[in-house]
Amino acid sequence: MAIKRLFIANRGEIALRIVRAAQTLDIETVVAVSDADRDSAAARQADRAVVLGPAQAAKSYLDPRLVVHAAKASGCDGLHPGYGFLSERAILPTLCAANGIAFVGPEPDVIDGLGDKIQARAMARAAGVPLVPGCDEVKTAADARREGDRIGYPVLLKAAAGGGGRGMVIANNGDEAEAGFHRASAEAVAAFGDGTLFMERFVPEARHVEVQLMGDGKGGVVHFGERDCSVQRRYQKLIEEAPCAAMPDHLRQQLHQSACALAASVNYRNAGTCEFLFDVKRQEFYFIEVNARIQVEHPVSEMIAGFDLVQEQLRIAGGAGLSVTQDQVKLSGHAIECRINAEDTARDFMPSPGRITRWSPPAGEGIRLDSHMSEGAMIPPYYDSMIGKLIVHAETREAAIDRLDAALADFTVEGIATTIGLHREIINHADFRANRIHTRWLEQVLLAERKGAAA
Amino acid sequence: MTHKPPVDPSVDHVRVLIEEFTRSGIATLHLRAGSFELLLSNDPAAPTLAGAPAAPAPVAVPVPVAAAAVAPAPVAAPAASPAPAAVSSSVPDGAVVITAPNLGTFYRAPKPGAAAYVEIGGKVGPDDEICLIEVMKLFTAVKAGQAGTIVAVLAEDGAMVEAGQPLFALVAD
Repeated sequence: MAIKRLFIANRGEIALRIVRAAQTLDIETVVAVSDADRDSAAARQADRAVVLGPAQAAKSYLDPRLVVHAAKASGCDGLHPGYGFLSERAILPTLCAANGIAFVGPEPDVIDGLGDKIQARAMARAAGVPLVPGCDEVKTAADARREGDRIGYPVLLKAAAGGGGRGMVIANNGDEAEAGFHRASAEAVAAFGDGTLFMERFVPEARHVEVQLMGDGKGGVVHFGERDCSVQRRYQKLIEEAPCAAMPDHLRQQLHQSACALAASVNYRNAGTCEFLFDVKRQEFYFIEVNARIQVEHPVSEMIAGFDLVQEQLRIAGGAGLSVTQDQVKLSGHAIECRINAEDTARDFMPSPGRITRWSPPAGEGIRLDSHMSEGAMIPPYYDSMIGKLIVHAETREAAIDRLDAALADFTVEGIATTIGLHREIINHADFRANRIHTRWLEQVLLAERKGAAA
Repeated sequence: MTHKPPVDPSVDHVRVLIEEFTRSGIATLHLRAGSFELLLSNDPAAPTLAGAPAAPAPVAVPVPVAAAAVAPAPVAAPAASPAPAAVSSSVPDGAVVITAPNLGTFYRAPKPGAAAYVEIGGKVGPDDEICLIEVMKLFTAVKAGQAGTIVAVLAEDGAMVEAGQPLFALVAD
C-alpha cells in the first residue's frame, strides 16, 4: 500500500530533501525534531513537526523506541530514516514492522548481515564479487614469503587477533615479508598472546568507487552508475563525482555487475550503495562494504541519471516495484558534489557552529543546492557540521569543474567558517584537474602543501 | 537568582510581553528591571540566563519563548501558522509550568482505572510522581520538581505529548 503519511526520522538537509520528495508524491509529512531543531527548514516545510526530546541525539534522534512511538502516535504509515543516526540499525525496521509502519529501507536481517564485516565479505564472495586478495592465517616467516609472493607486493601484515594499528607492517618484497613477520608476530604475541598474522594486498594509491543500487526486495536490482569519492579527509568524503572518469568501460561494467549480483543475492530492497576500492595501477577493484541506506552523495547519481532516488525509495517502500528497467536508466554527462561544512580549515577543520548572517548561494543551469540553511539560520553545535551540498552537472568532467568553480566563487556565506574556499583549491589543483588523485591525496598532497605554505 | 518568577511586573505583564514578542518577529529580547530579568528568544541555542534551570526541570513562566515556540499543529495544517503560546492562558498567575521531558504518551494514573497521581488542587512535594510518559511500553515517571499545589492540568490523559509540552501548572509553596 502506498504510503499516505511519512515520518522523517532525521534532520538537516536530508530531512528537507525527503519532505520535498514526499510532497511531490502527495504524501503527508511529519518530521521528527529535537529541541534544538524546532525551527528547522524541514520542520517548517513539513505538514507537522513533533519534538522528540532534548538536543542530545541520544535522547532524540538516536532513540529508536522514541522515534517509532512518535511515528505511530502521529498516525504515520511510513518511516524514512535518512542517513546516519538510526538508518542502519536493524531495530528500527523491526519496531516499524511490529507497529504496522512501512520502513523505507531493507529488511532488518539484510541490514544486520551487511553491517557485519565478516558476513558481508562472505556474501560478497558467494556472489562472485572480488575481495582484496589476502590470507587469514600466516603462522611462520616462510608462510609470509610464500603468501606475499602469491598475493603480490606491497602487502599489509597485521595481527589476526586484534584491531587497530598494533602489529601492523607493510612489506614490499619477500625479504621484507619475512622480516616483517618476525616483527609483527612478536608485537602480536605481546599484545594479544597470539602471533598469528593476517595478510592482504596493500593498495597505496586507491580510489574509492561505489555503485548506486535500487532493489525491489525480490531479487530485482537496477544500478544508477558509479561514483568516485576519492577526495577524503580522515575517511570522510568531501567531493564526490559521477561517473568515475578514471575507470575504463570494461571494468565499469564488471563493477556494476558485481554490485547488482551481490544485492540481488540477498533480495536487497530499496536504495543501497556497494563500495569498492579501485586499484588504478593494477586495474582491479575489491569489495569494501554495502551501505544499506540512501547516501549523502546520492545527488550526483541523480544528476547523471535524471532520476529521483528518494521518490523511488518512497514508492518501493509503499509496495511498488522498480519504476525503471536497467535499459531505461540513461546516464549522461558528469556531476560533481561538494560537501559544504561549517568548519574552519585553517584551524584543523574545527567545527564552526553559529548563526549565518549572510547566505547567498549560486544558481543557474546545471547547479543544484541541497541545503537546509538560510540567512539568519542557526547551526547548532550538537550535530554534524554539513550545511549543504553544492552539485553541478555538465557535459564533461572539465566543464563540470569549471561550472563548479564559478558556482563556488558565487557562493557567499558569512557568520561562520566554511569549506567553500578549500573546495575551490581542491578542484583547481593540477592533480584534481588531471584526475590523478587517490583517497589519501587530500591529506598527503594538498593539505600538506597548504601547511608548507603557511609555515 | 535573577530569573525568579517576578512579583512585579506581574505574570500578566510577562504574558503580554511574550505575545507582543511572538508577533513582532524580533529574534531576542533581553529585559532587566531592578531584580527582574527576562530573556525571550526564538533561538533554541540562545544563551540562557545565568542560573536558569536546564530543561527538563520545571521552568518558571518567563521561560525563553524558544522552549515552547513550536506547538504541535494538526497534520495537514499549515505548519507556518503562528503557534499558540505553549504557556496556555489557563495557567494562573504565579504558576510554574511542568513540561514533558521527551515525547511520549501522557498518563495521569499509574495504571488504567487507577486514581490519578494528582488532581487539581492537590498538594505535591518535589519528589512526588505526578504522571507517566510512555514510550513503547517503557513508562517513565515525571516528578513535580518542587513543592506546591497543582492548579491546572494542561495535557490530555492518554494523548501524545511532545518534548517541552506543558503538562501541569503548579503554584509553589
